[in-house]
Amino acid sequence: MALPARSYANALVIGVAGRLDQDNCDAFRADLMAHVERSAHDGGAVILDLSGLEYVSSAGLRCFMLASRQAKAQHGRIFVASLQPMVAEIFEISHFNMVFQVFPTVREALAAASIEAAAAFDKA
Amino acid sequence: MPRERVADRVVVVVIDEKSLGAHGQWPWPRDLVADLVSRIAKAGPLVIGMDIFFPEPDRFSPGVIAARLEGKAPDVAARLKGLPSNDAMLGAALRAVPSVLGVAGIETTDARFAGPPPAPPVRFLDGAGERLRAYPGHLRNVREIDAGAAGHGLYSVDLEGGVARRVQLLGRFDGATVPALAVEIIRVALGSPPLVVAPVRDGTLELRFGEYAVPAQADGRAYLRYGHSRPGRFVSAADILDGTADLTALGGSLVVVGFTGLGLVDLTTTPLGEMAFGVENHAQAMEAILEGQFLRRVDLAPRIEAAVLVAFGLALFFLMPRSNAQRSAAYLVAGIVAVVSAGAAAFLFLGLLFDPVAPVLGAAAVFGVMQAGSLAEAQRQRQQLREQAARMAGELDAAKRIQMGLLPDPREVLDGERRADVAALLEPARTVGGDFYDCFMLDERRLFFAVADVSGKGLPASLFMASVKSILKSAALTVEGSVGGVLVRAQDEIRRENPESLFVTALAGVLDLETGELEYANAGHEPAWSHQPYGRPERLDASGGPPLCVLELYTYPTTRRTLVRGEWLLALSDGATEAMNPAKEFFGSERLRTTLAWLGDEADAVTIVTRVRDDVRRFSGTAEPADDLTLLAVRWEGPGGAVSGR
Repeated sequence: MALPARSYANALVIGVAGRLDQDNCDAFRADLMAHVERSAHDGGAVILDLSGLEYVSSAGLRCFMLASRQAKAQHGRIFVASLQPMVAEIFEISHFNMVFQVFPTVREALAAASIEAAAAFDKA
Repeated sequence: MPRERVADRVVVVVIDEKSLGAHGQWPWPRDLVADLVSRIAKAGPLVIGMDIFFPEPDRFSPGVIAARLEGKAPDVAARLKGLPSNDAMLGAALRAVPSVLGVAGIETTDARFAGPPPAPPVRFLDGAGERLRAYPGHLRNVREIDAGAAGHGLYSVDLEGGVARRVQLLGRFDGATVPALAVEIIRVALGSPPLVVAPVRDGTLELRFGEYAVPAQADGRAYLRYGHSRPGRFVSAADILDGTADLTALGGSLVVVGFTGLGLVDLTTTPLGEMAFGVENHAQAMEAILEGQFLRRVDLAPRIEAAVLVAFGLALFFLMPRSNAQRSAAYLVAGIVAVVSAGAAAFLFLGLLFDPVAPVLGAAAVFGVMQAGSLAEAQRQRQQLREQAARMAGELDAAKRIQMGLLPDPREVLDGERRADVAALLEPARTVGGDFYDCFMLDERRLFFAVADVSGKGLPASLFMASVKSILKSAALTVEGSVGGVLVRAQDEIRRENPESLFVTALAGVLDLETGELEYANAGHEPAWSHQPYGRPERLDASGGPPLCVLELYTYPTTRRTLVRGEWLLALSDGATEAMNPAKEFFGSERLRTTLAWLGDEADAVTIVTRVRDDVRRFSGTAEPADDLTLLAVRWEGPGGAVSGR
């Protein structure tokens, strides 16, 4: 699963789309972890743009959790943004909104990452 | 492909059934043959070739008859003796016109024809002709006839499996080289120019005389390119002898005299599949020479065919393992078409003979062997897949057994308990999730129940689930205080034995069967539902925390609620709400609410779980369940137990 990613200053926005479940989460995890290792360290932020994500199973949530731990371990941050209603409900029920800071839009997540990231987003 | 006729200069005079009917059986007296030759000669042909052979003296010669009459009629014998022999008459007739007689190569020597046969001078260039077919001996006509001939030609058409395909253009005898009858007839017609045999670079020969150059194999044979047999070129000897034949066609033509009469003929089959009389082969050969239509089979042809076979075979050998069966077959067909087309093109445009049969059959054999090989390989792979599937199924079975074996039967656990009615159900998905439920009495009045879901699937999830279940139970039994504290303790324990970083969603509750006081805590799990008598289904407060093992040191809050008598609870896993139908829609909370609303006040625990299960399965239809489905229902009957009548 090649994840589309765009850089804004010290933040990397990764698009996650489709359905994330047991069947495809291994490939997703490998890709996501690579991004997180590169970008979410020493104040850097990874923002998961979930606007295209229709469904996430517990296996998918586990990928998010592992990414969050990795980011935390290397002093980076990880946010999620732009959740569809179904995914928002899953985050709510599973209380994963306690694990991640959830933002309504990518712009707001970038603003939380850094002023520069938001500025870069506005310019682009 | 038959050669098209462009010249009709060859005429065949045949001694046919009609001739035999009119003039008696063969052998005819040779004066009659002499008469035939003389009549043909009158028409003015360029040359007359005889496909008829007279190796013995004529028994009807006057001298021969005279010898037999000597004692019976001496006067007649005396008169007959004075007449010329029939053989001499035929010799004379033949001498009067340019004629060509035959020489037959034989595998033994014949005392009557010792010494070399008469032959034209042949010049061999650059050592050509060393591999010419050699005959130890020969037969030819009796001397009186033979003396009248202007030239001598070899009779020999090689029959390959009964099919006339090649003609021996040149044959070597001890001390002479004789050209084929067809060659000699033309050469004589041209005024007997010398014969030259020249080598060709590809190892074949070229026979040159006058303006003609005829290709031949190194052994002197040539491939005839046959035209269709045409009855129109035949003239019956009977018609010539009785003067009814139109002889104008014979003027300036090449005439061959031969047989078609039954019982006399040498019938051969031409490559076109037609029966042809032997004499026709000579006619065909002549026409081929006149039109330059000989076919060549170069010396290298067998090697080229072998090379094509090897190349074709190797191509298949390398292509087939990289292709599926259809594509392989396409390669084979394409290759065959290419080889056959190349052979046909060489034949049509270059007059070269290549045999595509060997390469095609060889390649087909390679194809067959390879196909059989790949079939065997496919079978082996299928077998492996089956074994793998069986192992997987074995693993899944083990996982299911672990999962199901750990689940308590509420009726046994709560045997004789009248204050609460509990039922549970877990239907594992094909891939086995990590759901479980539990229920047991903490003491005389407190019922503990839980529904949980371990992230991940298969055997690892099942093993993890088994460990989580026992940790949760021991936490429930040891932790005093709130159920939230039980989850905190359980998380603490699980964390230590969780190398895979799996997590668990769980809903745990403790119900006081005397008071109806319920306390519950939720770790990232589906909220439970409740239904009060005369009420509507209600989704319980979703407060709580993330799944166990997601956030370390999280303190799970405890929520409290007091049930009314007859109120029931349903705890479930996401296998219910996230069950999908073939259109990929989720069952969802609203459908669940509807199902629960229909259940009403009187439903017992078993009815609740089975009805919900049935509705979820009906919704999913043919879609295979992706996740375990777990349901646990608790109905509080009040401190005194179930109301009588139920």
